[in-house]
Amino acid sequence: MATTAAAEAETEALAKPAVTPRVVSRLNPANAVTASRFLTLPLLWWAVDHGYHQYATLFIIICGLLDKLDGLVAKIFDCRSAFGELFDAITDGICYGFGLILVAAYGWAPVIPVVFVIGLGLLNTGLRFVYIKRAGRAVNYKSYAMERIVAYTGYLIGFATGEMEVGFFYWAFVPIMLVIVVHDAKRMLIDPVPGARPEVGPAAGVAR
Amino acid sequence: MNLVSNQTFWILLSVTTGGVAGVWAIHDVIFFARLRGANHRDPLVADKRFGYAMGIVIGTIGVVGTLLFMHSKGML
Repeated sequence: MATTAAAEAETEALAKPAVTPRVVSRLNPANAVTASRFLTLPLLWWAVDHGYHQYATLFIIICGLLDKLDGLVAKIFDCRSAFGELFDAITDGICYGFGLILVAAYGWAPVIPVVFVIGLGLLNTGLRFVYIKRAGRAVNYKSYAMERIVAYTGYLIGFATGEMEVGFFYWAFVPIMLVIVVHDAKRMLIDPVPGARPEVGPAAGVAR
Repeated sequence: MNLVSNQTFWILLSVTTGGVAGVWAIHDVIFFARLRGANHRDPLVADKRFGYAMGIVIGTIGVVGTLLFMHSKGML
């Protein structure tokens, strides 16, 4: 009987089409677009070093546009992946961090707010790792407020290269980022992790 | 070494900053208003509310900063 049942199960398994998860290569068009953002950094450095404000603004705009384009390319070529999301986030951090340090180093932006921005950014990154540890799995922490402040960060470099109300925009950024990091820290460290809710009630533990 | 005249550059900066910030603020005001009837105890709703509120603040800062810039350049 057991042999027959096993044979039946095997036949059934063979009859069903195997459902394999779609494997996306890391060498895909979306990641290529993301990686191409790094090419704007030496150009940005060159423009800042030579005092070419308009060119520097152009290169940081291109870097920002490529950030928007990679998501679109991933959608068109159906090559979204967890690695791609992580690579995008790391590229954001490197490009914007580099840009901010550059404009501060050349005296185009005030140093103290830049130190705050980079420090709070690093703190937020550390909190994300704590959140992943709490969740017990690689999970992307989504924050609507943080999405907005990241866009503002990209603009900060543009304000410096375009000499556009630099003091106002940089100092206004600090309290907003502080509030958002504190809010997100509470969510990541104290609030329950979504998807890990304890089951309660009489049905708990019953297979459904 | 410039790509365009200073005047054109300032106008482009004002449009790309003030325009985007203004649209962004209006977008977040609308989405914030849409959450009025939602369950505020839901963490996702709470996160959206906070995110849209911050978006409104950031958008307003963008518009104010642009107006200050335009005033300083004699465009207003």
